[in-house]
Amino acid sequence: MVVSFKDSLKLIGILVVSFCAVFVCTFFLNFYLDAVKIENLITEQTRALYDAQLATAKFTCAISGGFLAAIAVVMLVFYIKLYIDSHLKQIGILKAMGYSNGKIASRFWVFGFSVFLGTVLGFAAGFAAMPLIYKSLTIDGLPHIEIGFHIVLPIVLIALPTVVFSAISCGYAYFALSRPVSSMLRGELRLKPEKSKKTKADNKKRPFLVEMGFKTLGGKKSLAFFVAFACFCYSAMVQMGCSMEDLSTETMGIMILVIGVVLAIVSLFMALTSLIKANVKNIAIMRAFGYSMKECALSVLLCYVPFALIGFAMGTVYQFGLLSVMVNVVYKDVASVPDYGFNVPVFFITLASFIILYVAAMLFYTYKMSKISVKEVMAEN
Amino acid sequence: MIKAQEIYKSFKGGAVQVLKGVSLEIADGDFAVILGASGSGKSTLMSVLSGLERPDSGTVVCGSQDITAMTDKQLTAFRRDKVGFIFQQYYLLSHLSVENNVKLGADLAGNKNYCEIIEQVGLKEKLKNKPAELSGGEQQRVCIARALAKKPEILFLDEPTGALDEKTGREVLDYISRLKRECGFTMIMVTHNENIAQMANTVIRMNSGEITEVYTNKTPKTAYEIGW
Ligand SMILES: Nc1ncnc2c1ncn2[C@@H]1O[C@H](COP(=O)(O)OP(=O)(O)OP(=O)(O)O)[C@@H](O)[C@H]1O
Ligand SMILES: [Mg+2]
Repeated sequence: MVVSFKDSLKLIGILVVSFCAVFVCTFFLNFYLDAVKIENLITEQTRALYDAQLATAKFTCAISGGFLAAIAVVMLVFYIKLYIDSHLKQIGILKAMGYSNGKIASRFWVFGFSVFLGTVLGFAAGFAAMPLIYKSLTIDGLPHIEIGFHIVLPIVLIALPTVVFSAISCGYAYFALSRPVSSMLRGELRLKPEKSKKTKADNKKRPFLVEMGFKTLGGKKSLAFFVAFACFCYSAMVQMGCSMEDLSTETMGIMILVIGVVLAIVSLFMALTSLIKANVKNIAIMRAFGYSMKECALSVLLCYVPFALIGFAMGTVYQFGLLSVMVNVVYKDVASVPDYGFNVPVFFITLASFIILYVAAMLFYTYKMSKISVKEVMAEN
Repeated sequence: MIKAQEIYKSFKGGAVQVLKGVSLEIADGDFAVILGASGSGKSTLMSVLSGLERPDSGTVVCGSQDITAMTDKQLTAFRRDKVGFIFQQYYLLSHLSVENNVKLGADLAGNKNYCEIIEQVGLKEKLKNKPAELSGGEQQRVCIARALAKKPEILFLDEPTGALDEKTGREVLDYISRLKRECGFTMIMVTHNENIAQMANTVIRMNSGEITEVYTNKTPKTAYEIGW
């Protein structure tokens, strides 16, 4: 047995992301499909508003759905890589005993299960929230839109992602397993030998802790992506949620706010947890040698700060761009939409809360690291 | 001097009694071997003596410091200033080169000449290699360099030759004992190998969590004189 259902359930990050994606897409797509049905009732005066409504539904769906799906793929591949890396020896033994790559890889389909669970829950939640959403999406002057059920949605939003993600899991696992057994048994992490940069004469002068930080970052680049992503989500969705109150309805604003905060916390949690997990032994040995908790924590966590800031900045730009496009392009013919400008107070409030959250996360993980028993880590193997 | 008194240690909330009243004394500059069968509690004793783990009761005094009364911060500082480790399972940092692994120890002592030590253990050519690219013996030598670069006052070794073949094992032991003579640190080695015990000054024999015998070797043997 290589992978169990329990392993698949640990992919809370993917579960949450697919939940959010399907949640948003369910009611927007449903709204879109229902709205298309009443097209013949639209009069000349309400045409612009109606078109803008449809465009928003499509636009939001494509952006949030596509964006979140891409994130889920990256998370999945990343998680499988981490899984294989941390089970290198066990898998190596299976290979040595004669299990083929295909046979081992085929067991990885269970990782698609977390996507299934997330999408089912997201779909159910999307339907549950539907009356509320329809109410907030309906604008005065447009005919009432009835909630209908469209069989195509569960197919596209549940079955398809599950199958695709299971296939990606097996495919990536197959790719990652295609390497010599001996190197797996020895615990060689890299697929390809690292090209050593010759012009690194000053390398020698870098203290160990700095070197440790850079090399940890270098080996875990995908984690930098998640840290950046978490901060991106937080910054974009919180600012957007707060600005939405003026532009759209309060319900939409709160919904976006909540999704953003949940996504941010989950992906930050996932990134930092796997960072610590991957470094448990290293931290234990550093602790044994007498490095302080603070030194250990900073050496693995500090290098990710620039990525956090980049993510935050990108999120700010993204939400500003998106709202500007919505207001100035999609809704440009609709008179009732107010002007939109960059919301400075919201930016600073978000930034402050973001810094507090980030520092809290660092402190939490430093505390978690201090719970690593040096002797216990040394004993297992 | 390291002096342990009435050390008790259990795991799983007292269900597994591992150390049952261990008392011992190891003089400065001594080469002591803790000898005992697998599961007799040697590694546990070592981690208590080195401040990796706290005993349930009893005291460990190192020089003038009672390390069992220290806070976590003080214990960390104690390990930083005084102790070096060589583990059976190596525990090298797999994503760092040989050089950086040794630097882990060297930086703690502000040691800028760690390259000399790497040269002494014969790994000058492998400075930029990753641990997975080395043989078992070479990896163990990186561990030795890492521990020695820290200039410890007390060096703890847990089965340092457990994973090595006879030839490499003898080389490693010979190298460690030569360095011990040159640098004069205290050395406490854990092993289940009776032959290796003949190299020590002091032999402490353990059996299921208790010390059953302590004796000194009048004429310790070298790594090439002992049986394997
Ligand atoms: N963290 C722990 N939790 C539960 N039991 C433990 C723990 N650590 C050690 N033990 C138990 O304590 C006993 C002694 O362990 P220890 O590692 O000290 O033995 P050892 O003498 O070093 O053996 P070996 O020569 O095989 O390394 C063993 O029976 C082991 O199962
Ligand atoms: Mg042991």
